[in-house]
Order: sequence, then structure tokens, then C-alpha cells
Amino acid sequence: MTPQPAYLLHKRPYRETSALVDVITLEHGHIRAVAQGVQRAGSKSRAKLQPFAPLHLTWIGDGDLKRLRMMETTQSAVLLAGEGLLCGLYANELLTRALPVGLPTGDLFAIYAWTIERLTRPAERATSLRRLEITLLEALDAEPIFLETDDSPLDPSTRYTYVAESRRFRPIGAQHPGWDGRSLKLLARGDWDASGLAGLSKALTRAALAPLIGNQPLRSRELMQRLSQRRRQGRA
Amino acid sequence: MSFSPLVEQLLESLRVLPGVGPKTAQRMALHLLERERDGGRRLSQALTEAIERVGYCERCRTLTEEIQCGVCQDPRRDSALLCVVESPADMLAIEQAGGYRGQYFVLHGHLSPLDGIGPDDIGLDQLEARLSRETVSEIILATNPTVEGEATAHYIAEHLVGREARLSRLAYGVPMGGELEYVDGGTLSRAFQGRQPFSSE
Repeated sequence: MTPQPAYLLHKRPYRETSALVDVITLEHGHIRAVAQGVQRAGSKSRAKLQPFAPLHLTWIGDGDLKRLRMMETTQSAVLLAGEGLLCGLYANELLTRALPVGLPTGDLFAIYAWTIERLTRPAERATSLRRLEITLLEALDAEPIFLETDDSPLDPSTRYTYVAESRRFRPIGAQHPGWDGRSLKLLARGDWDASGLAGLSKALTRAALAPLIGNQPLRSRELMQRLSQRRRQGRA
Repeated sequence: MSFSPLVEQLLESLRVLPGVGPKTAQRMALHLLERERDGGRRLSQALTEAIERVGYCERCRTLTEEIQCGVCQDPRRDSALLCVVESPADMLAIEQAGGYRGQYFVLHGHLSPLDGIGPDDIGLDQLEARLSRETVSEIILATNPTVEGEATAHYIAEHLVGREARLSRLAYGVPMGGELEYVDGGTLSRAFQGRQPFSSE
């Protein structure tokens, strides 16, 4: 096979000197593989096989668990630090949890690469993560459909809740707390970056992703929440 | 043919050691039984005692059979300097490198959200309690320069915002005797960013 562009999402030690890795690849989506010998002290691949570094990989094996054969780095890793790093871990955790192994994922690889580049800049973190989440939802055919549950168009003057099973919105009347139809219609036009909608798009992608990641909460999100909670306490 | 139950049990037990497979376990067991019974006795005594008595130092959490380890008890060490490391092996490496005369705190791991290892698993409460008791002027975050190590350093730093202590992180650099041509790009670019003023004194 020709080397596939890839990023390491997660690596955990396996046996003495090997590692089990989750990678996202350009054409084959999420691949799980054994990387033999990478945990050996002084192994050259050990330093190369790091998250956020653009890799070229080949592997063998027909089953769900492949064996990595060759690995090269092209450029050095994106230098993520601080909060950007936690956002990067969130992106990695999200993809490892939500993406089934072996499903080709279209644009997701390119958007992932684009996202982690942008995580170095604080102002672009939220919007790039939203873009990644939406691309992930589209790749899994799980993105929200901006219609009411009976397929009628959204009403700008009423409020809605998201129904994950039908991926549509149920009206709950104008008085109840919920998402207003006007903002949802803006999102429907693809204005995910529009100012004032950041909170809504975050909540909506989270609601749409919830069925895909299962019961266990995302640990990197918890970590970020604990830090921001602490920051608020510190200020108070 | 298989060995008698006791010998088999010994083989099985030896295989808990890292790097020991069936063949190596057999070599070790036969060596102890045939040529080194005294050594074997010492080994089993040392093992039993260590497993029974060695725990964590109450101050720095490194391995020790005392309540406080040698470093923590040493009055000549500078208690205003605190170095946070991931493992007792890291602590030993810094000690052997020499030059550091402060105290330590061992996390026994790093934050790794994807493995489910969170702040509660690396003793941060204990670190905070210690910082409330003692006056520390500098905290050196010497976690590994990996993604998880960086995340851990960041989390600890954010957690300690508002305290008096100055925070520092180990520098990235080109290894001694290394050649630039063969240094990986990430290390080289960080070493470049962290370059030092040149002095020929």
C-alpha cells in the first residue's frame, strides 16, 4: 500500500514494548493497530509517534486490528500548549469514541488537520472545534435536521428542544426555556460562526453527539470544565 | 514432561516481571534452584519485606519504608524549591544528574483523559495540602515533554494560580553530544525558541 497520511489520536502501552494505537487516516478513517517496538527505550519511532504530528503510515492485516509497518513524520507536530492542548485532547477523545473503526470519513481528516492547526490561537478554538464536531456528525450521518419532528419547517417565534432519535426539533411553546426557532434557522443556513450563536451551536452539537459517545462522559471535557469552574471560584 | 507443581508455580510467578517470558522464567528458576539457593533465599526475603513494608512517603509520595523518605528528612535540602515529577524513576534520574538541592513531589502518573486518568488519580489534593502547609518559592513542573505530561503541567499550573510560588518548566534542548541534523524537528524548533544568551566565560 502507499503510505497514508494519518494522525495519532491515542496510544496506550501493549505488552512490553508495543503500543495499541488509534489513528485517523485520510482514506480509511479510524484505524486501530499494534505498533510493535515503539515503547522500547530509545526507539526512534517512540518520539515520532505523538499526537498532533502529521504522519505517513502503512499497515497490514485484514481484521479490525492492523499491524503498523512503516511510519514517517513529514513535518513537526503542531505545538499545542495549555488550553489549546486540552482542546486537542478533546478532539482526539471525541474521534476515538465516536468514530467506528474502518469507516471512510470523507472530509473529516482534512478538517481535523485544519482544526488542530487552529487550536494554537485562542480566538479560533471554539469555532474550529464546532466545525470538527459538525463534520464528524455529517460523516456519521447524524447531523441535526432543521425541521420540526413532523417535518414541518421551524417557526422563528417558538422555542424547541432537540430530539436525538429523529434528529429533529420538537416545539415546546414560546414560554419554556429552549432554543428559539430564529437562531436555529440561522444555524440551518450554516452560520455556525455567527456571533451570538456560539453557546447554541455548542449545546446543539453536544446534544447531537451524545448518542454517539455512549454513557461515559468525555473526560477531557470534564477536565476543562473543572478548570474553568476553578477559575471562576478563584475570581469570586 | 512438565516440572513439579512448586517449580511450575515459581515459573508462573517469575513471569510477572517485565521482559520475562516462559523461556527466561525457566532459566531464572533453574538457575536459582540448581546453583544459587542462597541468593534465591535472599531474593525471596527481600521481596517479602519490600512488598510488606514499602509504601509512599507522606510528604513527597516517593517509595519508602519510612514515614518520610531520605530526601524529605534531609535538613540540608532547600524546602523552598519543589520539583513535581511523574514517577519515582524520574525523581531518581534528576537526583543522579545532580545539581538539584530542593524537594520533590511524585504524581505516580499523568493526566490522560483518553485513558480515564483524571486529577483525582495523581494526588493533586495532597500537593495542594502540602503547599498550604509549607512555604515554597518555586515549583518546577518536571512532567514528561509528552502530550499527557504537558497537559498535566498545564492543569497543575492552572490549579495553583493565585499562590505565591513561581512556576517553571524544564527547558527543551538538543541532547549533549547530539548532532542537529538528527534531532527531531519538534525538539529543534523548541530548542531554538528557548535559546540562551551566549557567554564564553
